[in-house]
Amino acid sequence: MPNPTFFRDFRAWCLILSCISFLAMQIYPRISKEQPIYDLTLIVDITRSMNAEDYRLNGQPVSRLEYVKHCLRELLISLPCQSKLGLGVFTERRAAILFTPIEVCSGFPEINASIASLDWRMAWAADSRIAHGLFNTLQEMTDKNSGLIFLTDGQEAPPINPRYGPDFSSLKRQTSGFIVGVGGLQPVTIPKFNTLGQRIGVYGPDDVPQRTSFGESDLNPEKIDGYDARNAPFGRAAPVGEEHLSALREDYLKQLATESGLGYSRLTNAGDLARAIGASKPARTTKQFEDIRKYYAACIIVLLLAQLI
Amino acid sequence: MNDLGFENPWLLSALLLSLPPLWRSGVKPTRHACLSLLPPDALSGWLDWLLRILPAAAIALATLGAAGMHLKQQKIARLAHGAHMVILLDRSKSMDNSFAGQTPSDGEQSKASAARSLLNKLVDQRRRDLIGFAAYSTSALPILPLTENKQALHAAIDATASPALAYTNISKGLALALAYFDQKPTAGSRIVLLVSDGAAVIDPDSEAALRQLFKRTQVRLYWLFLRTENNPGIFSTPEDNRDDNPQAMPERYLHMFFTSLGIPYQAYEAEDANAMRQAIADFDRLEQFPLPYFETIPRQDLSGVCFTAMSISISLLLGLKWLEGRK
Repeated sequence: MPNPTFFRDFRAWCLILSCISFLAMQIYPRISKEQPIYDLTLIVDITRSMNAEDYRLNGQPVSRLEYVKHCLRELLISLPCQSKLGLGVFTERRAAILFTPIEVCSGFPEINASIASLDWRMAWAADSRIAHGLFNTLQEMTDKNSGLIFLTDGQEAPPINPRYGPDFSSLKRQTSGFIVGVGGLQPVTIPKFNTLGQRIGVYGPDDVPQRTSFGESDLNPEKIDGYDARNAPFGRAAPVGEEHLSALREDYLKQLATESGLGYSRLTNAGDLARAIGASKPARTTKQFEDIRKYYAACIIVLLLAQLI
Repeated sequence: MNDLGFENPWLLSALLLSLPPLWRSGVKPTRHACLSLLPPDALSGWLDWLLRILPAAAIALATLGAAGMHLKQQKIARLAHGAHMVILLDRSKSMDNSFAGQTPSDGEQSKASAARSLLNKLVDQRRRDLIGFAAYSTSALPILPLTENKQALHAAIDATASPALAYTNISKGLALALAYFDQKPTAGSRIVLLVSDGAAVIDPDSEAALRQLFKRTQVRLYWLFLRTENNPGIFSTPEDNRDDNPQAMPERYLHMFFTSLGIPYQAYEAEDANAMRQAIADFDRLEQFPLPYFETIPRQDLSGVCFTAMSISISLLLGLKWLEGRK
């Protein structure tokens, strides 16, 4: 009964082709793509100056720390699966790593909750020795094979004496990563809290040391009014300054970045972090598979409709 | 139907394309002199119906497959032995010393590293537990929420390998650990496992607040006290009455505070890693209460099934095509 005209009918060919499409779908159901995978450790500055409110989120002023948390959440969402993210906090002169990097997709709820619980009250001491903190973090991170992202506003408190900074030369380029500058360039006030965590105004000029009084001054003694090597190495003038206000110290952070062999980038919107990370070298690349069966299916639907004509 | 999900729901609009085949079959009409001469044929009727249904079904199935139909991830309630547990780890500087109270020499273990390896084991043993992890020193550090993600827990425990932080502020730590359970519905037993090598004075304000929190959260408290050689322990009594005060013997007073709370409380005093191991084993044996938990069944992809069914429809259609009569 088979009909010799069968193969002359384009409808039959439509059906045959859709069968072939189905077979092709079974053989090549997906294509592979190279996908960058990141391994990052985020260190967040939780010192008091991070409470300064110079970012806006949904029209509301928010503190630098809140804004950083918002951006980290966005970053967490944007990282491809198999990437790893670790989290730590910086205060005093060192960082405490809360957890070493964990996979972002399976660990999403945990990382997200940990980011949400970041708070300035976690600080175990109140100093903000950024250069020392960075130095200590880099020491901890050598041989860890994880990139560092150090988010800070760059305000050393109390102010440091540039003569006594840490020497980064031994750690230079041991760890990849970058420093992220947080905050606005205009000095703003820093909120002050009492022991119960209630806000009681802002820091005034007399609440904070306005200049360093540690060691010897790095200025030429002849230029210092009332200089006395033993009793007044910084002169006799009452210290004045704007250390009770806080602005992003971009130059200082750039200098630290150069010294430690890290990159520098400024945080102005939530996409900045992901962009900066996208431009950096990934930990490795992996093959990611994309399901392309829907394209075969579209083909088959067209063929099935064509055989109705 | 609620369990069905689609990867690309918008593709479902292509389901409309399965309508045309229903009123137009792809069969070329054949001329016939007089249709009324033909006897009614039930089989032909069936075949005509099939010729309309099969392509419609194939298109619909192809659409469902392309839209990525799947059974959503499901949670099935089960009952097992386990608990909700918060591990509260002391990160004060003394934890970095050995049990002899010195900087660990070669081959010696610091209290922190002994605690770390034991906690790692504990996390692996307690398969059904939801475990949260927090640390405290001068302030409290919430680290991980209650979770069953063992990988994350190991990452958090391993991260404590970095040098310890500062002082011991136990009341902040306890308040944080209890806050994990506060304002949450009770499910199974709740445990706080405090691992520390020393205590500190709790000021009266915090003490009152902690008493309330303990009462409200109804936790079972385990204290694994890593006693340093020659230091007063939990159970030691002062030889001199003048030493019987919280400043001189904070451990004894913390123990008395815990005992007075009226909650299930168990203290272990470990002077070396072996004693710690025993304490953890004991704890593991004691804490075997029924715990309702949800087992997650991963989502199941149904698009493969759709495509296979589609291919069957198309093959049948092709068979019918083969049988088509022609002049």
